[in-house]
Amino acid sequence: MKKRVIGIILSLAGTLALFGPPTQVAAQKAPATGVAPLLIRQRILPNGLKIISLQDNSSPTVAVNVWYNVGSKDDPQGRSGFAHMFEHMMFKSTRNMKSEMMDRMTEDVGGFNNASTWDDFTNYYEVVPSNYLETLLWAESDRMVNLNVDEATFKSERDVVKEEFRQRILANPYGRLFGQYIESLSFTTHPYKRPGIGNLDELNAATNTDADEFYKTFYRPDNATLIVVGDFNQAQFDAWVNKYFNRVKKPAGTIPRVTVTEPSRTKEMRYTRTAPNVPFPAVAITYLAPPSKSADIPALRIAETILAGGESSRLYQSLVYEQQIAQQANFSTDVRVDGGLLNFIAIMSEGHTAAEGEKSLLDELKKIQGAPVTAKELEKAKNQLITRAYQEREQNDGKAFAIGQAIIYEGNANAVNSDIKKLQAVTIADVQRVMKKYFTDSNRVVIYYQNEEAKGNNE
Amino acid sequence: MNNVKLKMKNFAKISALLAVLSVSSFSQEQPPAPSSPRTVKIPAVQEKTLPNNLKVAVVTRKNVPLVTVELLIKSGANLENAREAGLADMTASLLTKGTKTRSATEIAEEMEFLGGSISAGAGWNLSQVVVSVMPDKLDKAMAIMSDVVLNPAFDQKEIDLLKSQTLDNLSFSLKQPGFLASYVASKYSFDEHPAGGTVDSINAITQQQIVGFHGNEYSPGNAVLIFTGDITALKANALAQKFFAGWKDSLATVRGVGLVQNEVSNAVVKRILVVDLPNAGQASVNYTKNLPNINRERVDYYFPASVMNSVLGGGYSSRLNQEIRIKRGLSYGAGSSFAWRMAKSNFSTRTQTKNESAGEVAELVAKEIERLGSGDVPAIELTPRKSVLTGDFGRDLETTGGLAGQVAELYLFNLSLAELNSYMANVNSVTSMQIKNFASANLKGGDIIIVGDSKMFMDDLKKRFPKTNIKVVESDELDISKDDLKK
Repeated sequence: MKKRVIGIILSLAGTLALFGPPTQVAAQKAPATGVAPLLIRQRILPNGLKIISLQDNSSPTVAVNVWYNVGSKDDPQGRSGFAHMFEHMMFKSTRNMKSEMMDRMTEDVGGFNNASTWDDFTNYYEVVPSNYLETLLWAESDRMVNLNVDEATFKSERDVVKEEFRQRILANPYGRLFGQYIESLSFTTHPYKRPGIGNLDELNAATNTDADEFYKTFYRPDNATLIVVGDFNQAQFDAWVNKYFNRVKKPAGTIPRVTVTEPSRTKEMRYTRTAPNVPFPAVAITYLAPPSKSADIPALRIAETILAGGESSRLYQSLVYEQQIAQQANFSTDVRVDGGLLNFIAIMSEGHTAAEGEKSLLDELKKIQGAPVTAKELEKAKNQLITRAYQEREQNDGKAFAIGQAIIYEGNANAVNSDIKKLQAVTIADVQRVMKKYFTDSNRVVIYYQNEEAKGNNE
Repeated sequence: MNNVKLKMKNFAKISALLAVLSVSSFSQEQPPAPSSPRTVKIPAVQEKTLPNNLKVAVVTRKNVPLVTVELLIKSGANLENAREAGLADMTASLLTKGTKTRSATEIAEEMEFLGGSISAGAGWNLSQVVVSVMPDKLDKAMAIMSDVVLNPAFDQKEIDLLKSQTLDNLSFSLKQPGFLASYVASKYSFDEHPAGGTVDSINAITQQQIVGFHGNEYSPGNAVLIFTGDITALKANALAQKFFAGWKDSLATVRGVGLVQNEVSNAVVKRILVVDLPNAGQASVNYTKNLPNINRERVDYYFPASVMNSVLGGGYSSRLNQEIRIKRGLSYGAGSSFAWRMAKSNFSTRTQTKNESAGEVAELVAKEIERLGSGDVPAIELTPRKSVLTGDFGRDLETTGGLAGQVAELYLFNLSLAELNSYMANVNSVTSMQIKNFASANLKGGDIIIVGDSKMFMDDLKKRFPKTNIKVVESDELDISKDDLKK
């Protein structure tokens, strides 16, 4: 569904996408080891806008992305959920476009558009038949400076976001756990503690004026990257970029940044939360992760795959297949710029408790800390990550997404081509080292989540 | 089939875009017009039949080092009776849970070591096994694939585990208003059973039934093996020969499917069903219509129906999403779709809204169904809605998985492979009159199904639909094997 928050909700699904290895250009074979590099071109306009392009004429479509360096962590005080709600407004009217005109230029001609708000960034993306590339470059440059949302539109779209909140958080039995409690209970200080979807009270408090202020503060060329992948001619593309983006002025003033750091945890914290219509208890065990630029991230990715990548993974084999106490058992690395979370999660099966889940997850943790993973497990994890990289980048938009993530999380588009080498360099000792380093007793938050009947509160 | 290059009808699209733009005031800037379009290349399908009657179809697409192999079995939940609902899906799911020589763990371990994946499942008319892997690992992956199809163990221990997993998953799904609405519709509106099964049917399925379903339906004459991606026809055929030539054809009986006369009704909404789910975070509001004489094979129905759906509820700018989300902020999204079947088809619209506005949304949906059957779709609306379909189709062909799925659909419904080439032209030829005729003849007389916290919308719903009978069932009491839906 369109215009959405992803962030924590996706990370629960165990996605390994964040640091996918680089992929192929058209008609290239995989090299003997690793993955062929993406031959990207980069430049920066005088107004600070970064431009990344990757030409691939194999299909007559093109992906156009604009990534803004603003995310849910930048939500104004008392306006939790605002960055995401603002993202919805970016599809409304500008000086030159009526509301929903992006849909006229994409969906109506056989393409699509969407956007998502993450903790650290907001990305807008379109895929269109390649003869519409110039039109889309014009449109993206227009909404970078000319947005103009009236109050009635703001209120109506705010209602849409409230329905999105109800659908994701309230109507889903585990929505409150994955979309609210994990973040609010895992961070004490950093704005990551405020869930990106927000809450109904703070969404209701937001005004059109807040939107104007937010737009002026964060939506500017020196806070954005244009990424274009697919069917175009490089010289023609460069000329269009000059024409439509050079005229966007770089505003005066600096962009405010989150400088708060989350303090290290000093002791284990435990919580129990309840919600209606929860069929089975769940448990989440979270640890603070290092920042996205940390050299330990590749080893954590490998550990993630060994623990939770597929039905041969350790957690599935132990909790789901052998003990049969959980219907889902997962470990995910929720990587964020200022340090995210490392989450063990189990949704129990009929008749089994969150406490059983906690014990078995921690048993698996002790195992991977106490004894080296096997050479075969390590090779399997690397093979899985390489195949996944190709699958994610079969289409232009997947490649653009990988490039965008490299910029946000590593500050460098070329990281898209070096990440795979880093993954392949990970050793058995690296895996054991990072599992001991981050998964300490004092760095642990344990959340039990169950039906509210359990505390006798069912009306 | 030969490569055919189709030119998209972009002239009309440009006109539509310019028409939208022309209302801009003088101080505004016009967007640059599109350049001339490039053609979409439809890949060729190469087909061969092995001596055991297994059809092998290959589509070579070399820009990514990936291959998808899909084994299509033309039998699914349609061959179950309601008491054994879930049998086809359970049979397929158990294939990867052990063979005569490999345990479930070994299958997962070997496939994942190759970096590949294997998945198996069943839908209404089909069962399938899908493998995705890099080309240099394909030989080893195919060895596993053929083993699970030809030599499944159907071990009782694995059956028991799968049953308990399926039941747990079902209790989770039945707490979600959207799933519950579709689940109830299968019986109430479509006179079918849920392909995923019910609590009673899952409990009742036996090892003998599973072995029987596999023995009867998994036969090369009832199957198609489809390769897409970075592989030549020569190599694919050699692999098919190596791993599937020993599969004996048990000559599945041809099953006749009769056409039933469709029921035409004057009222848009014939019945309303409310399933009360106390404390539900939202209400799911669905409109459902059984289409006994509409099926995928009928190209004269399929294309007008598909374009009609694109107008009503396919994609972001469709009428339902315009009215419910974009204009009124009543939902995060609203849409509609057909479930195409061999003999008959099902039509559903779906949306979720806060409990208090369930009645308002139900009324808006009914109004849009009515409008489709009575008014024209102007060209400025129709042309973009066709582009949504042709654009999605073209993009689907960009992935090996999407390509395999398109080819499988043609085989499943016994359609010509040439339909890949004619799809875009078929969509573009649909007229406003065809849409109106289809909608007025087939869409009216359906059911509104609302699953939510009923105390928050019942009074309002009754006021909005004073002449329609409203049946209410408590979610705790629900039993879709019973005619009155109650335990």
